[in-house]
Amino acid sequence: MRVGPFLPTILGKKRHLIYYIFIVWISSVPLFIEFWFYWQLTWNPTRPIFFYIYIALLLIPMYLTLAFSAIFWAKLLLVFINFIHKPKEGVFLRHPSDRDFRYWTLRNVVKRFPFWICHRFPFPFLDNICFKVFGVKTKFSNSLFEGWVDTEFIEFGKNVVVGQGAIIQSSVIVGNLLIIRKTVIDNDVRIGSHAIVMPGTHIGEKSVLTTNSVTTVGQELKANFIYAGVPAKAFKRNWFFEDGIEGRINPVEDAAKLSQKYDQIITKARWEEHLTLKQRRDLKRQLKEEEERRWELSRERDFEEEEEKESET
Amino acid sequence: MSNETGEIPSPKIYELPEEPIREEINLQFGLYIVVFIVIYYVSWVLVGAIFFLYVLNLFYPYVLQVNSFSSLFLQPESLLTLLVMPLVIIFSYFLRLLCIAVTTRFFWKLSEKISPSKSGVIPRNIKSKAADYYHLRSFMIKYGKNLFTKGMFPWLSQWFFNFVGSNVIGKGSVIEESVGSDKFATIGKNCYLGPNHTLASHLVQAIFGNIQYFRMIVGDNVTLGAGNQIGPGSEIWDNSYLLPFSSTNKHSVLGSKDKKSHRYYFGVPLRKIFKKKTMSYLGISEQDLERNENIEDFIDGVKKKKLRRKDNLNSHQSIVEDEEEEEEEIELDESEELSDESFVVDFTTSSAISRVNIKFLIVYVPILWLAGMMISIFWYEYTKEENWLGATLYLPIAILTMIYLFILGVLVFSKLLLILVNLIHRPKEGIFLAETGNPDYDFWMLRTELKKLALWFLRNSPLPWVDAIALRLFGVKMDFSSHLNDAWCDVDFLSMGRNCLIGQGATVMSSMVIGKYLIIKRVILSDYVMIGGHTTIAPGTIMGHDSVVGAVSHTMYRQLIEPNTIYGAVPARFLKENKYAEERRDIVVKRVVDESKKLEETHEVNIDEDKKKFIVAGDDD
Repeated sequence: MRVGPFLPTILGKKRHLIYYIFIVWISSVPLFIEFWFYWQLTWNPTRPIFFYIYIALLLIPMYLTLAFSAIFWAKLLLVFINFIHKPKEGVFLRHPSDRDFRYWTLRNVVKRFPFWICHRFPFPFLDNICFKVFGVKTKFSNSLFEGWVDTEFIEFGKNVVVGQGAIIQSSVIVGNLLIIRKTVIDNDVRIGSHAIVMPGTHIGEKSVLTTNSVTTVGQELKANFIYAGVPAKAFKRNWFFEDGIEGRINPVEDAAKLSQKYDQIITKARWEEHLTLKQRRDLKRQLKEEEERRWELSRERDFEEEEEKESET
Repeated sequence: MSNETGEIPSPKIYELPEEPIREEINLQFGLYIVVFIVIYYVSWVLVGAIFFLYVLNLFYPYVLQVNSFSSLFLQPESLLTLLVMPLVIIFSYFLRLLCIAVTTRFFWKLSEKISPSKSGVIPRNIKSKAADYYHLRSFMIKYGKNLFTKGMFPWLSQWFFNFVGSNVIGKGSVIEESVGSDKFATIGKNCYLGPNHTLASHLVQAIFGNIQYFRMIVGDNVTLGAGNQIGPGSEIWDNSYLLPFSSTNKHSVLGSKDKKSHRYYFGVPLRKIFKKKTMSYLGISEQDLERNENIEDFIDGVKKKKLRRKDNLNSHQSIVEDEEEEEEEIELDESEELSDESFVVDFTTSSAISRVNIKFLIVYVPILWLAGMMISIFWYEYTKEENWLGATLYLPIAILTMIYLFILGVLVFSKLLLILVNLIHRPKEGIFLAETGNPDYDFWMLRTELKKLALWFLRNSPLPWVDAIALRLFGVKMDFSSHLNDAWCDVDFLSMGRNCLIGQGATVMSSMVIGKYLIIKRVILSDYVMIGGHTTIAPGTIMGHDSVVGAVSHTMYRQLIEPNTIYGAVPARFLKENKYAEERRDIVVKRVVDESKKLEETHEVNIDEDKKKFIVAGDDD
């Protein structure tokens, strides 16, 4: 099962679809010119054998032509769009009035056709070219094709494996917010199937994010560790990059102990154990007071700024 | 289900006669084929007519018969024909989508009229109208759904579901590509359902269990993150925001209809998280939350700009705090020393290596060419008579034939190559170094890539259910009673028993990459095994008969799952006995749901024998 092609289908404005149809139209014109050449070369009504034998061989270059012309036109349009509005990280509103959100959806619409056409090809190398052209730093030694990988603000090292159905995001929609942060994944990282990497995560070298685990926004995963849980926590040191341990790799024997170990990671106590109920309440109240104080301060600052502005005008 | 409708006659002992059963079974498969063929035929025939008209009347004389390259661009009619050609194809594509939607809607409404879909429990192994039409509906929506959501224009898929009537989706809602959420859901306005989520309105409890089929309700302004699994009967009311990966059990109710407060949920199974945690998980500030909740106030530009400046400052602060916490935790762990425990595989990763190797392409080109030649010869024979009316009318059948001819060609040629490759290097289980130069690793990759091609075409064909043929041919031990469409599986070292059901989006791996090692170990699934959606099965897992692994869970390397049990959670552990496995031995009460007829059987027999006995019993009467 392959999900993708890696682009959200959310639309800021419906008129953006005109760009999409334009790209589809202009990038398929070369196909027919190519077919015309082939027709002139091989068509002979009395002996059509050559035409029919090599037509299947023509389909591969035709597909590549379509893919590359789509990449070319989309990239051209994208450079133009990025010139008008530079893509940037931050927290934006999921509403068409937000300029960043609008341009984010427009970028997705423009990139969609080349990604779609490359993703429908059974082999991954077209995907890789797409990623490279549209601004994901990646190497040909990575395999990112069984999961869903966002198409901008992502940096991969070399030799990264992204599992089946894993999702690597640099943008996430929660409520009315769109959060875009740069995700960095270093060399030799293994990401398990169905794992989810949230925007802003940095995964260190030779680390593992196991199956069914999630990182939080802006989480830092250290090098040489195995991470598990929701959200991901350090599980143990990754010794599996050592040489000559084939004989020593063993399955789990004590299942109960393992379950316990996972439980500790997944459902960790929110408060430390030695606190009594009263202490906890006090702590909570303190935190709340602190929060309120900060909120008040920021409000005051707000008013001051507004007043300043008003006085200026 | 039908107990709610009509009057219930007094329960009486009722034996199913032989004839109707046979007829119904025949009709059932007949219906499937009829529905598919009609949808497929209608979808292509109009498009084919337009295409032939354009090519024969305009493209052939004005483009193909022009001999010089320059006059192709200098003659206005040639240039126009050439430039309009892609637009004709785009238009035909839209027309095709429309035709599919219309025919699917027709069949959907028809089946709803005969047996309306209602929330309830459908017995899986007992013939009933409800079960039949439930299966038929699941089948008929699939073709359109695949074409719309995986196609060139995914923006139309919301319209498709609304038009067909399988879902009710409000204005401004966006559904990303996913394996479920195609039927029986009501979705409000301005929702966003992220990639790879599932609104599973149906849930199969076990092979001999029931189907839980309940309506999903999603309120206004709800967002689901990536990978959310929502169980049947769940109600997610207005302004609930699920962070990625949070999943619910069945019949979970989040929020309520009247309350409009904003809520955030996270975890498996999910729980509500509050301000502080939301801020730390999402790396956002208090002002962002404020903006989220009172979006109307922040739409005008001035206020927004001012706030954003402050947000950036604040969000940085919260990130710094997060990192400090994380560092403390890790320092403890780093003292861990190298021991035997270090090499225990107590976690699961993945095996999705599909490395780009240009030399593989040399293998593929002849396969594609030879398979393509088969269809070009077919096409030559098809258009030889130049009877274009006939060609248009039979075009849908011809296209279907061509697709499967091509796939057959690819299958046969890749199988031949596979035999050759396996002769050079025998596939074997074990732990290998995952680096180029290791023969086991290289040949494993070559095998996977070889098998991928045919499987890829089969899974994207109009009838993806036939992929069992390719799996069998490539060395998976299984029969046609098992289903694993929509799942990802390794096509090496996998054996399945009878009637296994592998859920949507599940991953069955017989190979796994850990660090720089590749583990290959056979996965054995016995009879009547069921694997839930989005579950990962690690290499070496052995599942006993009638066992179940629940959704969103994963097994460990070489884990043994006892027969007649239900496993679940992360990592998969024993939850309870599979009571349905016992029930299949003595079926006490059977109810033909739609007719409200009660059927009682008390003898203890095997389920397969059981069915035979029904027919025999009916014959005697």
